[in-house]
Amino acid sequence: MPLQEIRTCLKPELADPAGEEVLYEIRSSLGIESVRKVRTARVFRFEGLTPGEAEFLAKNLLWEDIFQEYALNRPLITDASYLLEVAYKPGVMNPEAASLVKAARDLGLKHLEAADSSWEYAFYGPVTPGEIELITRRLLVNATIQHVVTEKPQTLHLSGVPRPTNIIPLRGMIDSQLMDLSRDKLFLSLEEMRLIQEYFHRLGRDPTDCEVEILAQTWSEHCAHKTFKARLIVDGQEKKPLLKRLQEATAAIDHPLVRSAFVDNSGVFAFYDGWAVCGKVETHNSPSAIEPYGGAATGSGGVFRDVMGTGQGARVIASTDMFCFAPPDTPWDDIPPGCLHPHYLLRRVVAGVRDYGNRMGIPTNNGSLHFHRDFRAKPTVIVGAYGILPEDRCRKGAPRKGDLVVVIGGRTGRDGIHGATFSSAAMTERTSDVNAQAVQIGHPIEEKRLSDAILAARDRGLIQAITDCGAGGFASAVGEMGADTGAVIALDRAPLKYSGLAPWEILLSESQERMVLAVAPENLEPFMEICRGLNVEATVLGRFTGDRRFRATYDGEVVLDLEMSFLHDGLPQRVLRAEWKRPEHPEPELDPPRDASGWMETYGQVMAHLNVCSREPIVRVYDHGVQGTNALPPLGGVELDAPNDAAVLTPIPGKPYGLVIAHGLNPVLNLIDPYHGGLWAAAEAVANAVAVGADPSGIALIDNFIWPVPDEERLGALDRAVDACVDFSRALNMPFISGKDSLSSTYQTRDGFTIRIPPVLCVSAFGRLPDVRCTVSADFKQPGSTLVLVGQRDPKQMAGSVYYDLYGFLGCSIPEIDLTALRAVFQAIHRAIRRGDVVSCHDVSEGGLAAAVAEMAFGGGCGVRLTLPGGVRPDFFLFNETAGCFVVEMVAGRNPASVFAEVPYQVLGETVPERAVSACAGGERLFEIPLDFLKKRWQQPLKEVFGA
Amino acid sequence: MKPPVCVLHTDGTNCDVETAWAFEKCAGAPRLVHVNELRSGSQKLADFGVLVIPGGFSYGDDVHSGKILAVELTSFLREALADFVARGRPVLGICNGFQVLVRTGLLPYARIGAISAALMANDSGRFECRWIRMRVEGDSIFTRGLVGRTVTYQVAHGEGKFYAPRPVLEDLEAAGQVVFRYVDRDGAPTTAYPDNPNGSLNAIAGITDPSGLVLGLMPHPERFVETTHHPNWRRGLSGEPDGLALFTNAVRYAREM
Repeated sequence: MPLQEIRTCLKPELADPAGEEVLYEIRSSLGIESVRKVRTARVFRFEGLTPGEAEFLAKNLLWEDIFQEYALNRPLITDASYLLEVAYKPGVMNPEAASLVKAARDLGLKHLEAADSSWEYAFYGPVTPGEIELITRRLLVNATIQHVVTEKPQTLHLSGVPRPTNIIPLRGMIDSQLMDLSRDKLFLSLEEMRLIQEYFHRLGRDPTDCEVEILAQTWSEHCAHKTFKARLIVDGQEKKPLLKRLQEATAAIDHPLVRSAFVDNSGVFAFYDGWAVCGKVETHNSPSAIEPYGGAATGSGGVFRDVMGTGQGARVIASTDMFCFAPPDTPWDDIPPGCLHPHYLLRRVVAGVRDYGNRMGIPTNNGSLHFHRDFRAKPTVIVGAYGILPEDRCRKGAPRKGDLVVVIGGRTGRDGIHGATFSSAAMTERTSDVNAQAVQIGHPIEEKRLSDAILAARDRGLIQAITDCGAGGFASAVGEMGADTGAVIALDRAPLKYSGLAPWEILLSESQERMVLAVAPENLEPFMEICRGLNVEATVLGRFTGDRRFRATYDGEVVLDLEMSFLHDGLPQRVLRAEWKRPEHPEPELDPPRDASGWMETYGQVMAHLNVCSREPIVRVYDHGVQGTNALPPLGGVELDAPNDAAVLTPIPGKPYGLVIAHGLNPVLNLIDPYHGGLWAAAEAVANAVAVGADPSGIALIDNFIWPVPDEERLGALDRAVDACVDFSRALNMPFISGKDSLSSTYQTRDGFTIRIPPVLCVSAFGRLPDVRCTVSADFKQPGSTLVLVGQRDPKQMAGSVYYDLYGFLGCSIPEIDLTALRAVFQAIHRAIRRGDVVSCHDVSEGGLAAAVAEMAFGGGCGVRLTLPGGVRPDFFLFNETAGCFVVEMVAGRNPASVFAEVPYQVLGETVPERAVSACAGGERLFEIPLDFLKKRWQQPLKEVFGA
Repeated sequence: MKPPVCVLHTDGTNCDVETAWAFEKCAGAPRLVHVNELRSGSQKLADFGVLVIPGGFSYGDDVHSGKILAVELTSFLREALADFVARGRPVLGICNGFQVLVRTGLLPYARIGAISAALMANDSGRFECRWIRMRVEGDSIFTRGLVGRTVTYQVAHGEGKFYAPRPVLEDLEAAGQVVFRYVDRDGAPTTAYPDNPNGSLNAIAGITDPSGLVLGLMPHPERFVETTHHPNWRRGLSGEPDGLALFTNAVRYAREM
């Protein structure tokens, strides 16, 4: 039976917001003016229905006559200059397809075989074929996952005959052959390849493709963190491995609230009333660079699963996002070949995080955005997640001999398999263009029901152990869980999205929204019942054995049989050399602004700098209120558009207990000195938390290092950044309890052109406080309050500042943070907030004191009069960016001298009813700038990008 | 006795826990019920005093927001729903729940299977999360004591534009079925963004059926049942949180029924 095609679109008299959005992008990001109007239509295709049944489906499911038109098996929009249909490539999961099948069956159409959907775009106006090609390529179609449909497909079925398991003749290979094999797909060194060869010599047989693949996977940098575990020779001296330094610092601190550090899928910290909280921060840089929407979405999905798989299962309660891109107005000519434009990347990454978090119902309420030209080849996309779980279920159980290996959630496909090709002679004619295995579209609804099932099973004590199925798929999930017991799985039992996968593909697939659990046989039936009730697919793949081997079969044939000890401990520790030389960045000689109008212009430029400007257009599209836990949202103040420093949540309904979430990063500083840049990131993360009222004695940290490929020089920089984290952690008694490194952010063309990102250290901070009513927001509360700057800084340390950047300089005078003073300042701020001595507080970061007071004034709807001290340059005083400094608004009548007696502080001035920021120095007025001017400059840049 | 409240959830529902908490806070006895449990008969709608369909993205909002769940309800639970409404028990749909109620036909006319209005994509073309002001009007058991007041709730949706053919709109207005209307800073109904966040016709944010027992609204009352939920509670906020009354009224009505 031919496919039935139904098209729907809005009635012509109604505005089409989706079409207007495309039109906006055509004009703003491509500069094409010939398109007058864009309209959109949906296309739905069904296999196995009669035309009459398709019409029934149109009338009862697809078409609502109040606002739409529809057409069955004929075109719907016929008056456009050009019509274009965009669909997912066959094999890329279209989440809507399952809903179409479900609803059709609910409506009684039991014999529907398959369904698919796509979008049609209609362009009006004198548009040229060349322009259509540009619009298609740059805006509408990401060739990795989508294609233009030129003729109606014959079938929606994907099928194929599974390919066999191959034996790799490894024992007979000479070195050059070993390296050829590695280069193609394994990415292992010759030394590592020889180790594998020797192992199979000892076994007296050659390996299967499954065995070679799983070794390559387990020993990859991504999974084995070979650099972070390596012995380091730094400037000729041996130092402890990077990871060990962080772990030893955490052990030495021995913080009473740590429940687990570096051992589980996320770090766990005590909360209140028998609950614990956990946090994990991940990167998804490479997938986001290729397909930003899917890459960022599955990044969020992956880090949510890390939290869901913590202990015996946690509920995800918050999502964070930190991005680094090249400026959105980067000229096309500067974009390296094969890379996507940052304007597109930024919008699509935000959309990916938005759709995953919003749909799964996780509030995204903390994040940041950083711009630097050298992110133009590869962006940095960091996503975090936080969760809550009962303290008595917060430690992982170990699988026991006889426990079952159960996979739940999504089905397995070719998604994320490296080097695989999806074309095979045995497949149908439609599968020849299926090659989208590198990335996939996330399915947050699948993950939400997965989460519901895990929490229900956890509460009934049915989960012995759990982990998420991320990088490395079953290979890594089962391999790690069964490391101490051994496991055997039957790969043919895994539910597949489509037939035709080779056993090694099933083993390695990184299909999203899957978790692996250890379930005791006696708990299987109640567990399966929970899953059935929540529409979650669950399958027993095998069992944990006790023989300390990892075995897999396919149709009864053994395709994998390795000792766990070789898989996990067979890899020798690397020895790496590192060396760091202080780079030369000239210090600029600048004069302060000359007059009031010069000040106005400079102040406005700082507020409009991409690293300072308002993030509101992004924050607005994230659901930050879902779960009903907000006690301090990302935006507040009289116009609800002024930023706060951290998120405060009340994760237990009806209780005042607060979870504070914050973070800090400033990549450009690491170009100057990664040690002081590292301290800055950590200080900024904690300062953001303390600024809202967090208790410094109840804070845990998470590290994320996103680095260029570590040659000696970059490794030297990494060594310094890790030392900064360790020194900070020990000096402030704040343990790192989770972390991740991603050391591949270098771009290189065949002819040697290289772009390295500025090294990124992102530190995330989360902590608890007993009562959210003892927290403050950043908006000024009233005119007439005394303003105080609290914290230690040297205003001359201006390197890396936005102010310097206005003039194109980096400088070398990097802010150096005194950790002893910092500790006292954090305690003083926390005490002042807890006692109610201050009514608002904002930490100083990019844009300095000037940006901080302006943002506080936007929130308060009132102005500020600053009196600058003598003996210091006013521009440095206002634009210095030393982290760990705070602007506080005192409660009327409180004396700063008594509240901040033990720490560096200075009175800055006062809040005033006039809506302006003014400053005087030595009795002379430097400037008086209307708030509305500053706010407009501050809001402009991202409004332009997002069309808000 | 605490009236049992059916908090209906399915794949993609994500405001169920906080909605249940709002009822619990008001002395209701909420129970999370999966649509599968109603379909299998292991839970019966008739055993509950209030039905609420919370926010979220049921079945991914595929095809139209709330559509797949609406089709499921009208296919398998038509009689149970009709019976529930006929017995005069209150039904509340929040955000995605409102979309579901409109797509089942329960709103605006309590005629299951007859769709008379729609919730369309926001005029802005975007999902947006922001706090808005609404004037309370009309006659619904959920808003007793609130009529005439201006309340502040959070919206968080991409498809919240209330749309209906002109005659339906006129009829709803004439019958007083409009319960919540987006208003500007001066309290006047508005179609201007962002005070009207989605371009809803006649600034309609929420409507009731003719009996006043079925209520649907796009904004989220369950996100303002604690003082600290408000983004500016630190700027001085007095009185009960604006969202509580809806839940209190429903529980009281069910108890007295």
